[in-house]
Amino acid sequence: MRHRTLWTLLAALTVLAMVLAACAVPAAPQAPAEEAAPAQEAAPAEEMAPEEEAQVVELTLMGWASSEAENTRLQQVVDVFNEQNPDIQVTLNLVPSYDEKLQASLAGGSPPDVFYIDSFRLPDLVEAGALEPYEPQALDPDDFYPSLRNAFTWDGTFWCPPKDFSTLALEYNKDLFDAAGLDYPTPDWTWDDLRAAAEALTDPDNGVYGIVLSADFARWIAFLYQAGGSVTDEGYTQMTINSPEALEAMEFYVGLVLDGYAAQPSDLDSGWNGEAFGKGRAAMAIEGNWINPYLQDQFPDLNWGVTELPSGPGGQATMAFTVCYGVPAAGMYKEESFRLVNFLTGPEGMQMWTDLGLAMPTRRSLREGWLEKFPALEPFLNGAEYAHKWQFVPGFSDVMDTINSGLQEAMAGTKLPEDVLAEAEAVGNEILARWRERKGQ
Amino acid sequence: MATTGIRGQARQDAIAGWLFVAPALAILGIFLVVPILFAAYYSFTDWNGISPPTEARLIGLRNYYDLLLSGGIKQQDFFKALKNTTYFALGVVPLQTGAALVLAVIVNQRGLRFKDFFRTAYYFPSITSSIAISLIFLFLYQKSGLVNYVLEVITFGRWEPIAWLADARGLFHILLEPLGITLRTGPEFLRAKVAGLTLWDWISGPSVALTAIMLQNSWTTTGTMMVIFLAALQDIPSFVYEAAQIDGANNWQIFWKITLPLLRPTLFFVITLGLIGTYQVFDQIYVMTSGGPAKTTLTMAYIVYRNGFRNSEMGLGLATAVLLFAIIFLLTMLQRRITEAREG
Repeated sequence: MRHRTLWTLLAALTVLAMVLAACAVPAAPQAPAEEAAPAQEAAPAEEMAPEEEAQVVELTLMGWASSEAENTRLQQVVDVFNEQNPDIQVTLNLVPSYDEKLQASLAGGSPPDVFYIDSFRLPDLVEAGALEPYEPQALDPDDFYPSLRNAFTWDGTFWCPPKDFSTLALEYNKDLFDAAGLDYPTPDWTWDDLRAAAEALTDPDNGVYGIVLSADFARWIAFLYQAGGSVTDEGYTQMTINSPEALEAMEFYVGLVLDGYAAQPSDLDSGWNGEAFGKGRAAMAIEGNWINPYLQDQFPDLNWGVTELPSGPGGQATMAFTVCYGVPAAGMYKEESFRLVNFLTGPEGMQMWTDLGLAMPTRRSLREGWLEKFPALEPFLNGAEYAHKWQFVPGFSDVMDTINSGLQEAMAGTKLPEDVLAEAEAVGNEILARWRERKGQ
Repeated sequence: MATTGIRGQARQDAIAGWLFVAPALAILGIFLVVPILFAAYYSFTDWNGISPPTEARLIGLRNYYDLLLSGGIKQQDFFKALKNTTYFALGVVPLQTGAALVLAVIVNQRGLRFKDFFRTAYYFPSITSSIAISLIFLFLYQKSGLVNYVLEVITFGRWEPIAWLADARGLFHILLEPLGITLRTGPEFLRAKVAGLTLWDWISGPSVALTAIMLQNSWTTTGTMMVIFLAALQDIPSFVYEAAQIDGANNWQIFWKITLPLLRPTLFFVITLGLIGTYQVFDQIYVMTSGGPAKTTLTMAYIVYRNGFRNSEMGLGLATAVLLFAIIFLLTMLQRRITEAREG
């Protein structure tokens, strides 16, 4: 008897909650931009005239929190926009657990008006129909570096303008090079030069290695492209990673570790390459320009320089990691949102943002002005000319994990590079097929 | 007359009672029951977790097939995670339960000095944020970290420092190596594949990295379990002990014959909590290893997250979560059977 009442009540509650949930969910997506936005624009004049603030459109700009200096600077840029546009009021919202929050707000139908998108994540959002294309609103799009524009182009559409970017370059410890009597690395270095220098700089007695290399696809992939290899074909129809070029790249990369001229950060008491390099445990490292503020902050006495990555048998190559400002398809104020985006990535906003020296301008027209202020960072900026994008298909994390895991085992000597590549190819083809199947529904 | 009066009173009491629990039930319903039903439903869809859930399509048992039978990477990762999580639970649950029981008995001693200090000290890790603890253990487990240092000191330098969290070798594999059994030299059947993994993989034991996280996890949760045991110990009436002493039982006999049997319901509770907690281990993995090295710290809860948020396959992630629920449910039932059978 008692049990039955309990169950009845529980069932009633469940139904009630489901009804509530059912009401709440469709409400948001059913009032998307097409209908809502014009209504918003048409209504105000007479009806809302009494309230002066009624015409101010409130926008939210969501991103992930970064360093204190960057957060402050972004707020300043936003403040300038707010001043210049009295009809728009932008609130900056920098949050932790960014990806999860963004995903929840998109699925819930009430996304922020403008938000960060990592190039790696772009395909997921585009294919979920979450984005409004930037292309029709684009402000001088040809001024962006082609490699970066390409990183935010999916299915032939330019979806969102890059706000800044980073490339991989070769950092070297000048003191260790001087002590070994070696010339500093130059942009025309080849793999052989890198290997010879790493060998000469390795000093096992002092626990110093020539270079620090992590079992990380996002680093090794630069060598893959330098060798002339590739991960997939153009249209992502199949993996091309199990190639002689890829094998050469992996044997070179892993070989440096197996021969004792390179070590992983974990073997150098470090969480990542930059830390091992900063501690002087490795004479060289391959990292992006984010290493610059880190080293200045944590290892101010380190005497270091940076140059472009060496060339492999297939020429010069690096990776570009970049983030753009996206506008959601379900946004309420898309016109205003694009005005904000065009300010932030326009000449004025971007110059303000990149003058901090932490992020690099994505517009060619700002290159010279920026280099005058930060000449030492030129190698990173030069990478934009020949960088590859860090982007695959949705669901590709599984392939990355497989390659990371394989690199780890290859560096430990428990797996052969050819087996790592064969496995990556098999898993990759499976994921590509899975992606096609999900997409072609 | 009198009876209807009592009945009326009882009805009023019942209404009052329901009113009192109504807020709690409503909250439970909205934040627990509905999400569970929601998750169960969407585990049969191809929802990507980004577009509104209303756009998801029903795809039947496809997600479950991919996880359990497909023979592909999703199945492999699922069983890898199941294997890792099971080793994790097999290590952590006995360790933390045993340690908690011992600590509880110790701090329950009447004559103990600084009792409150010890109770607080043992409980402290449990109330500290697991993220903060994980970040500190990242340092302790470094190659030149404190753990290696202590091991070096107590073995008089014979210990070779290892990078704990980057070490993918399985414990049982390490034990088998001196016996001359490796993947290459071992018998053929070890290379046979069961549910996407070779038998050799299944018997790896937890990797060094996973073991490190297991030890850390035991250390953090022991305090919570100790408090539960302590409360139960203080519920045991003192006359039972006095009677045993009069009968001439020594401390050892008292512990095994009096304390432990009287703690059995609590023991069941602690083991159940432990099983549920270990099968859901997530934050340490997220902060410390992200499933690596070589996928040896991939856990069930972590692949739920990875499928749902990294791979934009929320439907698949939810199917993983439902399977995880089923596994925990079955294990708890099984454990209850075992405990009850012993009592009966």
